[in-house]
Amino acid sequence: MDGMNKNKKRKTWQSPWGYLESFIISSSILIIGFIIEFFSGDNLLKLPAWPVNLILIVIVISYIIIVQKFFKTSIVKWFSSPPAAISAISILTFLILLMGFIPQNNEASDGFVKMIGLTHVTTSWPYLLCSFFLLLILGFTIVRRLFPLTIKNFAFFLNHAGLFIVIVTASLGSADLWRLNMQTVEGRAIFTSYDHNGNSYNLPFAIKLLDFKIKEYPPNIGLYSNKDNKLKIDKKTQLMEVVEGSSKILDNWNIIIEKYLNGSKKDSLGYDTSNAIGAAPAAYVKAVNQISSKEICGWVSCGSFNSLMKPLVLTSDLELVMTIPVAREYSSDIRVFESMKKYKDYTIKVNEPLKVHGWTIYQTGYNEKMGKWSNMSIIELVNDPWLPAVYVGIFMLLTGSLYLVWMGRSNQAKKTKNNDLV
Amino acid sequence: MTWYNYSLYVYCVSGSWIIGMILVYLLRKKRIKWLADIFLVAGVVIISVFTVGLWMELERPPFRTLAETRLWYGIFISVIGLVIYYRWRLFWMLAYTLLMAILFLFINYFNPDTFDKTLMPALQSPWFIPHVVVYIIGYAFLAVSSLIGLIGIYKMRKNKNTDDTIALADNIVYLGFAFLTFGLLFGALWAKEAWGHYWTWDPKETWAFLTWMVYLIYIHFRVSKKKNVKSSLWILSLAFIILLICWFGVNYLPSAQTSVHVY
Repeated sequence: MDGMNKNKKRKTWQSPWGYLESFIISSSILIIGFIIEFFSGDNLLKLPAWPVNLILIVIVISYIIIVQKFFKTSIVKWFSSPPAAISAISILTFLILLMGFIPQNNEASDGFVKMIGLTHVTTSWPYLLCSFFLLLILGFTIVRRLFPLTIKNFAFFLNHAGLFIVIVTASLGSADLWRLNMQTVEGRAIFTSYDHNGNSYNLPFAIKLLDFKIKEYPPNIGLYSNKDNKLKIDKKTQLMEVVEGSSKILDNWNIIIEKYLNGSKKDSLGYDTSNAIGAAPAAYVKAVNQISSKEICGWVSCGSFNSLMKPLVLTSDLELVMTIPVAREYSSDIRVFESMKKYKDYTIKVNEPLKVHGWTIYQTGYNEKMGKWSNMSIIELVNDPWLPAVYVGIFMLLTGSLYLVWMGRSNQAKKTKNNDLV
Repeated sequence: MTWYNYSLYVYCVSGSWIIGMILVYLLRKKRIKWLADIFLVAGVVIISVFTVGLWMELERPPFRTLAETRLWYGIFISVIGLVIYYRWRLFWMLAYTLLMAILFLFINYFNPDTFDKTLMPALQSPWFIPHVVVYIIGYAFLAVSSLIGLIGIYKMRKNKNTDDTIALADNIVYLGFAFLTFGLLFGALWAKEAWGHYWTWDPKETWAFLTWMVYLIYIHFRVSKKKNVKSSLWILSLAFIILLICWFGVNYLPSAQTSVHVY
């Protein structure tokens, strides 16, 4: 260890503390976390909500500032030292590495791994203690490096304080985060929504689904192998987009789409155009085998929730099938009622949420079995009062990173100026 | 301007970038170095002109299809590559970014039938392109830093001086780490718009965060232990393994079966 070589007389636990002490402390914190988790049983860890979380933040920050400024003992100095930082980051990394390999929040998991919290790391004691420890070190480091106010120190501040703010507000703010689901149905105003555990809540406003819209990609046609029980997809055989008049060669068969109906109904002669609910796409296809010149014509349809799918049999093993159209875009026209007479209409879609009455409303799903005829739209309502604070932290980190891109490792910057090709 | 005269643009752009790169090398000690710059910048200008033309023709922002997405990859990657090149004079980064950009433009050229391929609703966002582009660049930097790390380890075995090697590695890690941060945060901002929360510990997120943490360890280790080059170089090489798991490996992990990033 470097620190020890410099001063060979220094024993373990003699100040200033180096890597050995730092790692002993960090690992102890992790182990204590595991022990607390083990004995706390099935009680899930819950972080305090407003206003206790704010009071906690204020206490922690004041504590850091006061201690760092007025008690310059060697232990306080250690809190803002690189060995402490590295040990804290490493231990947290180790814990998250375990989390990266162990499936999280899996109902089936059980046993010792679950007892020490590794199946629900982010809500476990070891995670809480390790990140709090890292946060303290981060805080002490920020206060120490705040002055003098140079550009370099300012960039340091942006990166470190940005991270501090993100961790604090994202974790402590999570207790004030509301995520509720609502199943809106066409023509009915609803104000009851549910959290992930199925508890119901009444919102201060009601939502009525006016119209659920869906735009679909055209369906595809492909070869289905009865032997393998799956669609044949390889270099020679790909899916073919159903466009009237187009043709493509799939595995020795030249497929020509002669007619395409967006919605269809089956009659005695074949398929005919239809706009009825559940009218599935259908195509009249000519398939010509390039080797035997055998020609097969017929209808192919993917079917829907109330009409049957129709393959076109080519050989005893091979069928031509149509895939169910995939959604390209779906959106809900909704009416938000503040009262019976006071309301406003909006449209929400994926990636374009709506902000109203302090809530953000997201389009999340629909009745997929009904597809484009779904008269139900699933929306999520999120209320996250700490979000602006999290964004401040994110913005600081982004600015700090821009500085990193421009300055790099600062001593290298001067060098490159005189050095053209590296 | 439409896709019909696209091939002409692709040839012009690729041509001027390739000529530019050759000139950078040939004229590196001559006074007319600026000639290379003209070709490099011209390529970006030409592809931008095409994109703007396409935008006006379509009467909507060209952000919707995969081909349009690749067009933006080409533009962003080349612009960032040029900025990094003029700031840091890293010729390999210039070559890497421009060749990547050319690759994206040529995929569009050879695969015109994928122009309107499916893009699931969650991916239809202005964040999609920046998120992917900064990761492409960040990963490239970090891959090269690991390569430099291995060169450093080899040099140490041969008892050669490693001061320049480690200094170069440090700088590349700083740049790569910054882009990794961009990628992580762009992803968070996008997730907030698409799924309602900026961080959900999705397996890919977990591994991206781990990658970020491991490079964080490297950076802090270098700050405090400037003399311990050997450990630094090893950390650097090992960090890349975490990055590779995050990049390719996540999909195969048992913990990742419900990830939104599995495709």
